[in-house]
Amino acid sequence: MEAAVAREADLALARRAAAGERDAQRTLFVAQRATVHHALYRILGSNHELEDLTQDAFLAIFRALGSFRGDSSLARWCQTIAMRTAFAYIERRKPPSIDLALVEDELASDEDTRRVVQLREATRRLYAALDRIEIKQRVAFALTVIDGRSLAEVAQITESSVIAVKTRVWRARKQLARRAAKDDVLASYLAEFEGGER
Amino acid sequence: MNPKLGPPAVEPLSDVTWARIERDLWSRLDTAPVPSPAPRSWRPWIVGGLATAVAIVLVILARSRGDTETVQVAQETVPTRMVSGAGPSALTYGDAHITLEPESALVMTQDPITTTAILERGSAWFSITHRKQPFVVMAGDAMVRVVGTRFRVTRMADHARVEVERGIVEVRFRGTEYRLVAGQHWSSGETTAVIEPPPVIEPPLVIKLPPVIDPPTKPATKPLPPTPLQDPRATFERLSALEATDPSAAIAGYVTLANGSDRWAELALYAAGRIATDRRDARARSLLDTYLRRFPRGANADDARELLGHLKGLP
Repeated sequence: MEAAVAREADLALARRAAAGERDAQRTLFVAQRATVHHALYRILGSNHELEDLTQDAFLAIFRALGSFRGDSSLARWCQTIAMRTAFAYIERRKPPSIDLALVEDELASDEDTRRVVQLREATRRLYAALDRIEIKQRVAFALTVIDGRSLAEVAQITESSVIAVKTRVWRARKQLARRAAKDDVLASYLAEFEGGER
Repeated sequence: MNPKLGPPAVEPLSDVTWARIERDLWSRLDTAPVPSPAPRSWRPWIVGGLATAVAIVLVILARSRGDTETVQVAQETVPTRMVSGAGPSALTYGDAHITLEPESALVMTQDPITTTAILERGSAWFSITHRKQPFVVMAGDAMVRVVGTRFRVTRMADHARVEVERGIVEVRFRGTEYRLVAGQHWSSGETTAVIEPPPVIEPPLVIKLPPVIDPPTKPATKPLPPTPLQDPRATFERLSALEATDPSAAIAGYVTLANGSDRWAELALYAAGRIATDRRDARARSLLDTYLRRFPRGANADDARELLGHLKGLP
């Protein structure tokens, strides 16, 4: 019942926004901006172009709103477009020519600061490694393993089957493990993400 | 390394960044509005889109000014933002000569067909000449222009004003088009008041403007079959507006538009298939099949496949 009400609300908002009503567009933007930004961030990591990409994603959302039929929630639909935006960005971006320097930041003495620095370094290495694997595998890994979404959910966002997502995650893990063999920091961090996908 | 670092935290964007994203987003939407699937309803906020709707195509005639700094800007496909400080700035963008008055900001974008200027604030003078008839005589410091136009656009918050010094300018506002010739001005606050102009002595200049969005008070009209003379985008938008009131006519119009070979043909063919699917029209499968044969990697190819999948599941 609640789902039906939410679907009707999503559809009504999407129709008004697609018709060009700026207040509806603004409502949609405010409601979905965190969702869109989160999806982009998970796939791309910290990125200086995230601001532009968020804007691009919303532009794509508003241009495609006419095709929203309420088959999924508006949030899920926006995540799919954010995923496509990230995908297109990775595709057009030149791959990094050299590996990021695997030099650790100097570790601070107090425990909290130390942990922040370690996490930052581990994250940097993880996304550097993700930069070097196939895009679909990267997206599947980022959303399923890093973000902790279920396979079914990621299948819906990426418009794929559950089997396809599972296979991509498996391949991504293999690729990353190969890179982690030469990188203890990455290996240690990846070990945190081991475990069965839901 | 410590045993558990946890997943990387998503760094939030600041309020200032969100405000900037939102502002730029509306600006881009105003420049290239979303094709609307239903007739638009009146909202006072349309005024907000006005100033950027005065986005105008430029072609050039350069004219130097001694009291301004001149900057050459190469033709680009990425947006270029120009901001003036306490004094005016003059610059050349492609074929256009622009004088930005103090405390003004302008964003220029360009695609292979259209150059668009978005005035963010303040005023700017634009000097343009017809690309095919460039003819300038220089005599010392004097420059003689043969064909062209020169006009000024001012934006103050949601209000815009256009003044034409020479040539012809078309202004489109809330679905209504105003044609200004030398000596005329137009303001969003007095949309019907245009000063009578002196006689026009210059040939008309074709200026490409953003697509027409019919005002909400107009009843929906059946589209004419598109011809090569009609703007496919405008036709597409009229058909989009027609979908809600007369879907059969919309399908017919889309099918006609789909006979072309540009991206509007692609969008039209998919739209026809989509409406036909919604209406359980017998042509739906054929339209979607045709779409996928013609545009297997088209923007709506995934959606078309999904719709076909639904259709195949139907009795």
